[in-house]
Amino acid sequence: MGQGKSQFTEEELQDYEDLTYFTKKEVLYAHQKFKALAPEKVGHNKNAKLPMAKVLTYPELKVNPFKDRICKVFSSSNDGDCTFEDFLDMMSVFSEMAPKAVKAEHAFRIFDFDGDDMIGVSDLREVIQRLCGPELKLTDSEIQQLVQNVLEEADLDDDGALSFAEFEHIIDKSSDFCHAFRIRL
Amino acid sequence: MDDEIEVDPRPLSSRRSFTLRNSAARQVAVNFMPSRQIPYNTLRLRRNNTENNALLTDVAEAADEADNADVQANIIVREMEQHHQLMEDTPDAEELRREALRELPQGLTMKRNVRAKLSASVSLRSKRKPISLWKRFKYRMSFGWKRTKDRMRDLVFSIELWYEAIRNIEGHFGSAVGSYFYLVRWLFTMNLLLSGMVILFVVVPQVLHDKPDRTVNFGFWDFISGQGWLEDSLLFYAHYHDGAVVTAGLSYYMPFAYFFTMVCLYLTCFAVLCYRTAYSYRRNFIETGGGVTLIFANKVFCGWDFGIVSHKAAELTSTSIYNEFKELLSEQNRNKVSMPVCVRICQYMTNVVATGLVLALVVAVNWGLWHMLEAETEWAVWELAVSALLTLVVTLCPLVFYGVVKLEYYTRRTAVYVTLARTWLLDMGALMLLLVYWSRSNTDCWETRFGQEAYRLVLLDAVVSLLVLPAIEFIRALIYKLNPDSSAPEFNIAYNSLTLIYNQGVLWFGLLFSPLLVVAVTIKFFILFYVKRECALRACQPARKVWRAAQTQTVLYVLVTLSLFATLFGLGSLFFRSSSKVCGPFRGYETVYSVLSEGALRLSEHPAAATILAFFGRPGPLAFILLFLCVSVYYMRARALAHSSMVVILRHMLVLQAKDKDFLLNAIAKVSNGEWSYSPKAAEGPDSHTWKYIRDVRKPSNSGFHFDASRLSHSFGDRPRSRVKEYRPYSHLTERSKSNDGDTDSSFSWQGSSSRLAQAEDDKRWP
Repeated sequence: MGQGKSQFTEEELQDYEDLTYFTKKEVLYAHQKFKALAPEKVGHNKNAKLPMAKVLTYPELKVNPFKDRICKVFSSSNDGDCTFEDFLDMMSVFSEMAPKAVKAEHAFRIFDFDGDDMIGVSDLREVIQRLCGPELKLTDSEIQQLVQNVLEEADLDDDGALSFAEFEHIIDKSSDFCHAFRIRL
Repeated sequence: MDDEIEVDPRPLSSRRSFTLRNSAARQVAVNFMPSRQIPYNTLRLRRNNTENNALLTDVAEAADEADNADVQANIIVREMEQHHQLMEDTPDAEELRREALRELPQGLTMKRNVRAKLSASVSLRSKRKPISLWKRFKYRMSFGWKRTKDRMRDLVFSIELWYEAIRNIEGHFGSAVGSYFYLVRWLFTMNLLLSGMVILFVVVPQVLHDKPDRTVNFGFWDFISGQGWLEDSLLFYAHYHDGAVVTAGLSYYMPFAYFFTMVCLYLTCFAVLCYRTAYSYRRNFIETGGGVTLIFANKVFCGWDFGIVSHKAAELTSTSIYNEFKELLSEQNRNKVSMPVCVRICQYMTNVVATGLVLALVVAVNWGLWHMLEAETEWAVWELAVSALLTLVVTLCPLVFYGVVKLEYYTRRTAVYVTLARTWLLDMGALMLLLVYWSRSNTDCWETRFGQEAYRLVLLDAVVSLLVLPAIEFIRALIYKLNPDSSAPEFNIAYNSLTLIYNQGVLWFGLLFSPLLVVAVTIKFFILFYVKRECALRACQPARKVWRAAQTQTVLYVLVTLSLFATLFGLGSLFFRSSSKVCGPFRGYETVYSVLSEGALRLSEHPAAATILAFFGRPGPLAFILLFLCVSVYYMRARALAHSSMVVILRHMLVLQAKDKDFLLNAIAKVSNGEWSYSPKAAEGPDSHTWKYIRDVRKPSNSGFHFDASRLSHSFGDRPRSRVKEYRPYSHLTERSKSNDGDTDSSFSWQGSSSRLAQAEDDKRWP
């Protein structure tokens, strides 16, 4: 883990340590992993902006059904291209040290496909279709039934969509969320 | 004014239709609601990319993106300034600020911006008081402590054992199997620390005391059975000196060292385990219980394990989620005939009978064990045979229990927990029986015998779990490769965890009587990790069904803690009764407890203290304490029930509130669209709600509709006002947008009313 040290100054590492849930060594380790995605480009500029296609070659993201949403949520330019700081932010939220509330916040953004600050019916349909994978398709009525069930369980104010408060309520009651919503460095 | 039917016909079904009515006015009204504006504890603010963000659309017209970010940073800083404890100039507040910054759901650049502005604001406000010496000392202490904690975390990360290996396994098999390996690692670390302490305080002094003139002469048989040459070695209790060890002028009193080291280690482990178990239980069982169980929502949002890496595991997860959805839906669609009472009683009786059978089996095993121990034979290896038989029983019984539980009527997860509990009972029963047998037998040095028994159990179990079981796994994998139609071998988490708990239980029982056993178990766990890892990676397939890892982990921690508790109970009662006269470090004492009472505390010289201690040991105070605990448990339970009924009431209130909100938003949308007539239907009488509304609320006028909320019949004026000062941080923004809305008449002061409405909703929230 030593070679990355020359690219960062002590203040920068302290800065990253203050703003994320990582220690300095973990920040360096994250940079190593980021560099592995595009060695020459990151070698020139340690905070290089990598196109979304490159970022999606990261092992955990490659097989994730929500990979494009994850990139879009964390990308500072909102088009999916990530700098190292975006990548660090992503790993920090997905790390073990991040509290449940922070993870819930970002999970809400990831699942909110149309960006209207509510997880509506179309968002839920999209989530379910992506979860089942590209080959297996549930019938339309089954998806409708599933969406109805989810809203029945979780939509407390009965307005047909999940607001952030309701989503946070679901997450609070789930003991597996922190285990599931975790990517180790 | 025409009779326009304005009242929106509510759908007959109780569930609303799912289309969100997206008229522009409605959306704007929704965006200005306080619940959308005042950030939550997590300082939620949307990032710049939503089109419906009415707050920033005006700003975006005027400035470019940099200014946009600046405005957002200003909004965040203004919100953070509301929390006074964040704005002080102390290291504590700095820590709080740091935490708040970490929790901000913004990118790193925005965070830096906010941090800069925040520190500027803080330094502006700081009062520059000189801090007293005491405060400075406190700050330095807390700062130093924080720095040490950070450095420790750094250190732990760099030497974290098996990090890559476990991550690899998690990527292939999911977090449930990963949690098994984390448990192995955690137990290994705990045992490593234990062995370090034991060696340091007990073994090393003994080594210094020993005369190095014994010839090393032991054969294979001695190694396996722990007898012969090994009997009088450092491995067992009997070898330890019962006086002072004198080297180089320093005197080290062995009985005290042995007693206090062991007792402290046991109690520390117990405390750590209790804490971990309670923490795990609270997170996984209590905080998620009560109220409606969210099966579907859970599956949809927490179903995908973000840590998987391989395509195969991802495919399998997708398939399993798909199958589970289908299963749940079909279960719902089936006409659920509620089972008649007699069928349910039948099932319940079956469960009871099966439990009875299992208990009978456990008792039979123990009885058999007792008789085997008592049987007098001339076999030289009789004791070894007894240990081997016990190991065999412990290995095979879980499979029997799995079979039994399939015949019973439990849900899948409860079945696993029940099997775990029964196996644990069998293991603990056998170990307790051994302890009781050896302590009651009148052999000299029974402690060594028990230590040897524990040693043999550990050794034989090592043979089984490190050699036999992996071989079976590989054979199964081979069969699967040759014949892909047979069931794929999966990594059986429950069964493997049982091995861990059994080993740990044997260690707890044997630690007192065989100090070096802990080293053996540590080495065993080390090897076990690698063996299991190879097994999993080469011979097993990822599981088909998604396994709930968090709750199973809690159950495993509970079982380990209970083992330690049973051990403490057994050993504690032994301590008070007797001590071996012929061997071991406590030779000179009546009972082992008297090491503490006579040796350390010298209670015989302080009769007052002795009487006080004796008082607490009597049944009276103990019964009182027990009663107090029962009462507090009852109180907690009553409180929990009250809370869950409160939750039901609040959910009902939420639904009603939402209906109110919807009604009002509809009214606003209609008014802004120009449909501001509110005429009652012909059939309604003069006392209908519509007429009352027109008389009391609306001033009849043709133009310039003034919605005077203060005239509403359920008047807000009489409501008890909340003491919270009305704080509207974004008032300048709302005033600006009022002029842009071309539809509404400027005399329609719905802006004022929106604040009234908001206040009304606030009032409703705090009745």
